[in-house]
Amino acid sequence: MLTLDGFIDSIDYLPPMPSNVTSLVKLLNQPDLDVDQIVQLIQYDPALTAQVIRLCNSAYFGGAPADNLHEATVRVGYYEILQLVIALSTATMMRPQQKGYGIEVGELWKHSVTAALVGKLLANDRGGDESLVFTACMLHDIGKVALSRSLECKYDEVVAETKRSQSPMLVVEQKLLGFDHAEVGGRLLERWNFPVELVQGVRFHHNPGAAPEHGVIAAYAYMGNMLACFMGFGCGHQALAFQGRAEALELIGTTPEELPNYMAKAFFTLKDTEALLSFPFGK
Amino acid sequence: MPAPSLMGLGFEHRVVVGLAELVVSNNPSAVLTTYSLGSCLGIAIYDPVAKVGGLLHAMLPDSKIDPGKAVRQPGMFLDTGLPALLREASDLRADKRRLKIYVAGGAQIMDDKNVFNIGGRNQTALAEFLRRENLQASAIQVGGHVNRTMYFSIQTGRVTLKVSGLQNEIILC
Repeated sequence: MLTLDGFIDSIDYLPPMPSNVTSLVKLLNQPDLDVDQIVQLIQYDPALTAQVIRLCNSAYFGGAPADNLHEATVRVGYYEILQLVIALSTATMMRPQQKGYGIEVGELWKHSVTAALVGKLLANDRGGDESLVFTACMLHDIGKVALSRSLECKYDEVVAETKRSQSPMLVVEQKLLGFDHAEVGGRLLERWNFPVELVQGVRFHHNPGAAPEHGVIAAYAYMGNMLACFMGFGCGHQALAFQGRAEALELIGTTPEELPNYMAKAFFTLKDTEALLSFPFGK
Repeated sequence: MPAPSLMGLGFEHRVVVGLAELVVSNNPSAVLTTYSLGSCLGIAIYDPVAKVGGLLHAMLPDSKIDPGKAVRQPGMFLDTGLPALLREASDLRADKRRLKIYVAGGAQIMDDKNVFNIGGRNQTALAEFLRRENLQASAIQVGGHVNRTMYFSIQTGRVTLKVSGLQNEIILC
């Protein structure tokens, strides 16, 4: 069996992380953001620029319409724009079908956007770093994009094994491949030089209590993933076959009773933005 | 003699019931469809005599958490969605005594401590409602860790499920 790094070196089908996302992620931790830094990273992509301006002018954000990127960024807010661009830019990676997981076209991206909205709502009420949480939730399943093809040829085995052993998907991945999607995702982000908060947030999104330092970010990703799955935006074979982690509640300071509220809130946010978000990908 | 209609020729059309929505119909060509239930419950009701059916895709058990949201979206909660489903079916002359009821969804994660059990709470809320209303479900496919999609033909009353990751459909009725 391959090692984790050996596996990552061997994959030749992983779509590259868009370079503007890598650059935008580096801005997340920067306290004094400059509007020009953001505009520079977006403006050379005309389709993306058009999408961003269109979303900023939607009823969801309200306010007077902006006719250029600079204006839109100032009005909607630097971090809102960062999140928006990260969500839009990762679609190319996440939208394709992931056969090894039984995930249909568009489902993984929608799952991730829902998780990111839930995470952001939770973080917003608790003084958490919304942009980091949003991004960690957006990327939590990136390892599935890398693992899907390896699982594809073992798909019948995956189905049989989950049914037989009643194990979480993560355990089945470990058993059949030697590593799981959380590990692969974390290592990919590490190789792309993403901030350690995101690396750990993704690496430990199924077990936030085990994260060495950034269990809080991982706990937000755990909650985002879980509530997205509850809402039906969890996808593929045995989408809910993962372990309950009560410690995630403590890490972010919430209770089980509060969670339905976040599902309801996320529903309305999704409803308000869905038509807009699906616009560039509906073709 | 009336002109032949497409409906009479047995053409079916899919009517999508979105998350937190409900649809009631007496159009025989309609196939009410609700995708990817997760921990939500899909509840189909059918009067085979009046050929009236309805489908609800409810997300949460209880609207007390936010009554304002229940006014905007009654189908979000079981305690507001179920009465609305029965009322709308009755408006189309469905008789409550003849209703067949089919239930799917309510999936759960692997949660030994039962902390995050929204799927289970949805099932309990439904069972309590049915008992109060003196109604009984004819077929139920709930729990587990899978997403289910539900198809419900008004013409035949047939309810089928597609389980994510599995090839074959499950026939509920």
